[in-house]
Amino acid sequence: MLDWSIAIGAGIAFGLGALGTGIAQARIGAAGAGVIAEKPELFGLALVFVALPETLVILGFVVAAIILFVLPTM
Amino acid sequence: MTKVDYEYIGARIRGMKSRLLERKELEALGAKMDINSFVDELENTPYRQDLEDASVKYIGLACVEDALRRNLSKTFRLILSFVKGEDAETLINIFLNKWDIQNIKTILRGKNIQEVPEEIAESLAPAGALSDATLTEMIKQPDVKAVIDLLATWGIEYSRPLTQHFKEFSETRDLVVLEYALDKFYYNHALDAVAGDSYDEGIIRGIVRTEIDVTNIKNVLRIIRDKVELEDPQYYFISGGKELNVDKLSALSKARTMDGVTKQLAGTSYAFLAQLPDQYITAEKISPFEKELDKFLLQKALSLFSGDPLSLALVIGYLWAKLNEITNIRIIAMCKSEYVPEKEVMEELVFV
Repeated sequence: MLDWSIAIGAGIAFGLGALGTGIAQARIGAAGAGVIAEKPELFGLALVFVALPETLVILGFVVAAIILFVLPTM
Repeated sequence: MTKVDYEYIGARIRGMKSRLLERKELEALGAKMDINSFVDELENTPYRQDLEDASVKYIGLACVEDALRRNLSKTFRLILSFVKGEDAETLINIFLNKWDIQNIKTILRGKNIQEVPEEIAESLAPAGALSDATLTEMIKQPDVKAVIDLLATWGIEYSRPLTQHFKEFSETRDLVVLEYALDKFYYNHALDAVAGDSYDEGIIRGIVRTEIDVTNIKNVLRIIRDKVELEDPQYYFISGGKELNVDKLSALSKARTMDGVTKQLAGTSYAFLAQLPDQYITAEKISPFEKELDKFLLQKALSLFSGDPLSLALVIGYLWAKLNEITNIRIIAMCKSEYVPEKEVMEELVFV
């Protein structure tokens, strides 16, 4: 029998992480576009900065995985 | 206010700022022997493309002037393209309109003394929201009245204060009447446009109000130098200054001497004027005072670079820095075409 509280918890953990990443990437992406327009040679660096907030959603994913798969076995 | 993409604007402006000439590059330009070697050196800077374009029509100093005009107008167009359709555009236009006022004044002065159109065109600042075509048409007019009529016909708002004060001007033939009217119109208009509570409006209001103070102090200095009797202080001074109101300004102009003015300014942000060498104060020479005041204003504007990065502060700071760079290059170019010694050239430049 599926425990809805676990599924909702995992969803919140992943969803909020993704939302945070989205907000951060929107702003960094806009700034990155500005940087590339002025100095195309900084494309690589701008890409790294745009990708950095991905860590948030990865952490959210890990926490969601723990909630879904580890928590029920404890 | 609508959402402005400050992250994008900020990144672009910082990139553009990194390409502004540094002091040592300006010094290298100032060290050149003549205008031709100056142009060669300037080709190693971001002005290369503009110089190449200008060299099709002009040579020497005229080529540099045209290149600077092209570069500045390109920069303004570029900045306005980031903020197109935003309320921020209105705020940037306040800055550009200042140069329109200066250009209109230059044309009126030229027409008042029957100067040849080419000379007037060379004296125009390479900035502002009025197009080259508008300015050229204004220069072609035969006299002051015709210039004002042209502005009115084209529905350009600056015709309003000029038309209102034209009768007074035609009686006295004193152009100061029209110049004060234009200044007052511009500053009142600018303060009305930034009357809101937003951070952007606040920073522009701060700069405009400091500018009003600086303009008023310059007027006080001229009143003292020319020994003008003040009948109506409201007429000579612009209200809305940051630290000096009209009452304080009329008290300043009653000081009668430069020394008296600098003493009365103690305790305000303009106390630095008292630090100028005594010979300027006693000789009642106002150009060093004007230069110090302009430098103060520039420092205020450039301090915006350390303001909120997610605001228009960076854009306004950059516009001032760019204009200062253009002014410095223009000064060097003019000095080089007249073979002015390097030391004297450097004294004329404004570094902040």
